[in-house]
Amino acid sequence: MKNWPKALSTWLDDRFGLSAITQFLKEKPVPQHKHSIWLYTGSAILLFFVIQVVTGFMLILYYKPTLDAANASVARIMTEVPLGWIIRSVHSWSSTFMIAFVFIHLISIWLTKSYRKPREITWMSGVFLLACSLVFGFTGYLLPWDDLSLSATKVGTDIPRSIPVVGAWVTTLLRGGGDVTGDTLTRFFGIHVCILPIFIFLLLAIHVYLIQKKGMSIPLDAETRNEDVPTIPFWPNFVYREMVVWLVLVGILFSMAIVFPPSLDKQADLMAAAPEGVKPEWYFLFLFQTLKIFPAKILFVNGDTVAVLLMLMAGLFIFFLPVIDNKPTEWKGKIITALGYVLVVYVLIFSVWSPL
Amino acid sequence: MKLKHSLFTRRQFLNGLFGGWTTALLATFIYPVVKFIFPPYREPDEVILLFSDFEGMAPGSVKSFPWGSKPGILKKNDDGTYLAFVGVCTHLDCNVAYLPEQKKFFCACHDGWYDEYGTNTGGPPPHPLRRLVVEIAAPDLIIKREDVE
Ligand code: FES
Repeated sequence: MKNWPKALSTWLDDRFGLSAITQFLKEKPVPQHKHSIWLYTGSAILLFFVIQVVTGFMLILYYKPTLDAANASVARIMTEVPLGWIIRSVHSWSSTFMIAFVFIHLISIWLTKSYRKPREITWMSGVFLLACSLVFGFTGYLLPWDDLSLSATKVGTDIPRSIPVVGAWVTTLLRGGGDVTGDTLTRFFGIHVCILPIFIFLLLAIHVYLIQKKGMSIPLDAETRNEDVPTIPFWPNFVYREMVVWLVLVGILFSMAIVFPPSLDKQADLMAAAPEGVKPEWYFLFLFQTLKIFPAKILFVNGDTVAVLLMLMAGLFIFFLPVIDNKPTEWKGKIITALGYVLVVYVLIFSVWSPL
Repeated sequence: MKLKHSLFTRRQFLNGLFGGWTTALLATFIYPVVKFIFPPYREPDEVILLFSDFEGMAPGSVKSFPWGSKPGILKKNDDGTYLAFVGVCTHLDCNVAYLPEQKKFFCACHDGWYDEYGTNTGGPPPHPLRRLVVEIAAPDLIIKREDVE
């Protein structure tokens, strides 16, 4: 049996029929045009996601999600567990990179209008994936259970309270009670390692499936002029290029993780006053700053209620964007592209302004 | 099949029956799930502390005590009387600190300020700090919710 690998693969293929997939990937064309660089953001997100899964599996071997043990178990990972500090640091940095790329991915698709028919559901599943990533970040932030993460979570879980009717209910649901306590910690842990992973895998499956089914979009102007866009095969040409990008990103990620590991403060005290400098993770700063500039009262309504409702409406607008932007080449489409730029400027300015 | 004076067909009727029955069945499963994920939460009616622990406080100083899962703050006024607050900011729930030199409560989360009587004076807090009733019945110090008799 000299040629056993070949024999084995034929044997498996007879049973699974996987050659259809490899054949598909070899034939799948990836268009090459001036916006092609944005195609790499999607696979960068996948890269960081895989790193999150692997480092998450590792951290969970030592982490203890209880009031008394959480902070100490993270301290132990940082000080005693061999290379534990690097693993935690990579997990923390990779979340930052992943969310950064999710934002870039979203805005690049917004500005190139790649969500247009027939890719509406791809976009919508993407918006859900964004929400999942943010909830991952928010729940993960509490797990080290130090003073800063406690106060940030108190504020974050109190914000939904200003939504009329269901608000108080949402806050209790998130906190597992009226206050942030050990129950909240356990709950966040469960969401972070059990509930969200199921959802994100499902959504990813839908998202990736739709991308394969509908193929890569081509730029709007080329499409309207019915131009032929040059393509390269997905496998191996495009994947090799992606691998180069991954290598560079992993290099940057590990450098950041080693030079700037995340800190760990002393264990959170439910009775202690909030420390100075309570702030959420950087990707919530623009929302945080938006809340801050709203006055306590606007006419007769609570300022926070107005702010939160506006944010919810913005979220809905983004979710339904492909449906709203149904005439991409006309003036409405141009306004929506302009709105995309406005969003970028707003997020950048508010994020930088917030810590000042 | 539809009878002459019937409003819907037999198929529609059966589908409606089946759909309604399935929904009702589902609801009986969902109800306990929802019940389960909302834990009972009750604020204490009162807490009983040892007065001797608080008797020696200097006028103008504060001491905290656990009020359920929230911090309570007991403050001794300059005239020797006591005031008690729930030490939680009315803006977004952060725990507040008392700054005795300035005679103010301060919330670090978004720079919220209250005066020594807990009235909101600056920053985002929309309401005064919540007051609690202090009763001294030596050797106990009883702290109650305002609406509890
Ligand atoms: S929570 Fe106190 S000022 Fe916002």
